[in-house]
Amino acid sequence: MRPFIFDAVVILGVVVMTLGVIGLIRLPDVYTKLHGASKSVFLGLMALALSGMAVGGEAMFSRLLLICIALLITTPVASHVVGRAAFLQHEQMTTVGAIDESGSILPAGEIPPWRV
Amino acid sequence: MHDVVYYSAMIWMTGLLCVCFGLVIRTHSSIVRILGFDAMSLVLISVLVLYSITTESSYYLDAALLLALVSFVSTIAAARYQSERRVF
Repeated sequence: MRPFIFDAVVILGVVVMTLGVIGLIRLPDVYTKLHGASKSVFLGLMALALSGMAVGGEAMFSRLLLICIALLITTPVASHVVGRAAFLQHEQMTTVGAIDESGSILPAGEIPPWRV
Repeated sequence: MHDVVYYSAMIWMTGLLCVCFGLVIRTHSSIVRILGFDAMSLVLISVLVLYSITTESSYYLDAALLLALVSFVSTIAAARYQSERRVF
């Protein structure tokens, strides 16, 4: 009975990744595309790796755990840097009802004093 | 029964990889292009994970781990160069 549960987890991960890619295509804005690209695709990959950890042996378990830890550390940093680059390039929020709460609109061509 | 699920999931993820590649080519914004490249690398990692589960060999997972780290570095470098015209 147990492997059918892990097949269901694989199907769940594939569905979540598909929804993330659809959101990456269909959403109107860079800042909303970040949701689909960082959260949904990453969590779908986490579900696939969880199923692989339960089904495979010890070698596959340790390697998948390393992949999970590496992605868990690197994906928020990468999406944050992409969002910062979009802010520094004056990307406009075109979503209906979006409010820019940053309050520090930089002049064009100016490099900010703070660094990531 | 289980192999049918894994093979069909792998075929679906390959189609999703082609969709992400089309997004990277067809978009007009460079930030969206960097973002689509990041998502494309994650989809490629998931294809490698599904293939290693299907064939029950853990050798492709080393390639997946290295691909995760290299795609992180490439995304950081591309985004920082796009925003500030310098990497470090």
